[in-house]
Amino acid sequence: MGARSVERVWLALLLVGGLGMGTLPFVANDYVVGIGLTLLMWLALTQSWCLLSKMTGYVSLGHVVFYGLGSYLVVVTWQVVPLPLAVIGAGVLASVFAALVGLPVLRVRGPYFVILTFGLAELVKYSITAIESANGTASRILFGTPDIVFVYFAMFALAVVAMFMLAWVSSSRFGHGLRSLRENEEAAETLGVPVVRYKLLAFVLSAAIPGMVGAVMALRSTYFVASQVFDPMISITVIAMAILGGGDGTRGPLLGVIFLCLLSELLWANAPLLYMIILGTVLIVFVLLVPDGIVGLLERRRRAAGTP
Amino acid sequence: MSLLDTLLSGQLLFSALVTGSLYALVALGLNLVYGTMRMLNVAHGDVVMLGAYGAFWAFTLLGVSPLLAAPAVAGAGALIGFALYRGIFRRLLAAGAGSAGRLEGNSLLLFFGLSIILQNVAALVFTPNNRAYQYLGDVVRVGNVAMTGNRIAALAIAGGTCISVALFLRHSVAGLAMRAVIELREAAFIVGVDVDRVQWASFAIGFASAALAGVLLSMLEQFSPFSGFPLTIAGFIVIILGGLGNVMAGLLAALVLGVIETYGVALTSANLRSVLLYGCFVAALILFPNGLFAHRKAGG
Repeated sequence: MGARSVERVWLALLLVGGLGMGTLPFVANDYVVGIGLTLLMWLALTQSWCLLSKMTGYVSLGHVVFYGLGSYLVVVTWQVVPLPLAVIGAGVLASVFAALVGLPVLRVRGPYFVILTFGLAELVKYSITAIESANGTASRILFGTPDIVFVYFAMFALAVVAMFMLAWVSSSRFGHGLRSLRENEEAAETLGVPVVRYKLLAFVLSAAIPGMVGAVMALRSTYFVASQVFDPMISITVIAMAILGGGDGTRGPLLGVIFLCLLSELLWANAPLLYMIILGTVLIVFVLLVPDGIVGLLERRRRAAGTP
Repeated sequence: MSLLDTLLSGQLLFSALVTGSLYALVALGLNLVYGTMRMLNVAHGDVVMLGAYGAFWAFTLLGVSPLLAAPAVAGAGALIGFALYRGIFRRLLAAGAGSAGRLEGNSLLLFFGLSIILQNVAALVFTPNNRAYQYLGDVVRVGNVAMTGNRIAALAIAGGTCISVALFLRHSVAGLAMRAVIELREAAFIVGVDVDRVQWASFAIGFASAALAGVLLSMLEQFSPFSGFPLTIAGFIVIILGGLGNVMAGLLAALVLGVIETYGVALTSANLRSVLLYGCFVAALILFPNGLFAHRKAGG
């Protein structure tokens, strides 16, 4: 297959998949809809993570911090602020947080950036835990949350927006600037790429979606415990999905998300520890043997099979 | 006793010293592995956790004193470190020579995978429950400071190990080779240092010291399969503050961290222990974006 027909097949699959996901709540029971919701959630999170980390090479291990902040905002303003406003506010809050910490955090590079983002997310987690326990509200319950179909479509919209955002950034001048600073930050800066501004913008953009995703997921779980919405495993799962998929477009994350969601559906309920062990193994195997991910594998196969 | 009395008493200082010396021992191994190979071993704390289980089972099942079990547990840690280096990381280092940034990122993800596997295998095999045992719990009084025997032993062993390794690095030929690799790997290779041997030795010493730290930890407080990560974080803070390959400065930095944590918790509440730890961590990284040792890298 040539590159163009591959594009067409891909687009067709995407449309069919999108239509299928769009009609799911009308044809399936709540259990299946719940699985679909989880898939959409990871999709939105992973696509937004790629916007920063795949594009710039600044691997964030703290993506969950935006998710948690979004959840927290909705829970704190529950039945005070109208829900749609709270959800949008969650995105804004996450972006503002990213903008505030972005400048000092993005000065830190390489593995230090990775562990710094992790530490920052944990710091926020423990701070909010401390605040909540000081207030005597260590766990909160939300009453009167909307039903799953509403939550599902909100998440569907977020996933679609996240994919379009990444697709747009990936093909834009801005995206090329990000790629150039990923390959060599000094060289990019010398050539006139506004490195600091671009990095910060990518960071802020990548924060909005997880903020809103966290807000919507708070409606699904109907209760709030800081250690759960700031669970570092969320960040790690996002990275595993993105690496599994590979590439810096929208395709890789999609494939990685589907693969790991299926795996977790098979294992999570019955053997959560085993699932985590397999997750760790997948991470190691892919980093060592398949660093380009599923997308890279498919590409290589296509090239091997294609006419020279 | 008023708050001020508590703060001025030797009791808190002793407690800070014990915590600090443990942090120093944890950071020691991280320091060697990061220094010689530029790999951030985020699974380091999980090796500490495994060491704690080693001592726990030796004590509860076999009735072996942790102090006697310590050399065996440390030896097992060294073997695991050696095997991991030969099995995975040597190949990665050979393949990644030249693209340092990517290698660091990849090795970090590998160690993360390893960390997840170790934690969950431990939870699967040992159950996720907290474990603890009583050993050397007798109180010794010096002046008006009450110290338990296990804390004195932990302080002595952790401090002693750090100082011995510092002396080894400073005065032995092998230690010189190790320091040379830490400062400038390529140059060390050119002047004939067996870099491969230095690297596996660093892995082995790093993992052995982590396992030993686990043994000491198990004597002092309860632990679970998920106790390792905060220790890794503490170790990172110490490295960032103390500098690469500098064990003595690391010991000092660890003691400072122990003081900050112990006194901070005494002044506020135990709930804020993690906030303090991660607060120090984030502040240290932001203030020293490339670590305190950036100037050394600039020379190469």
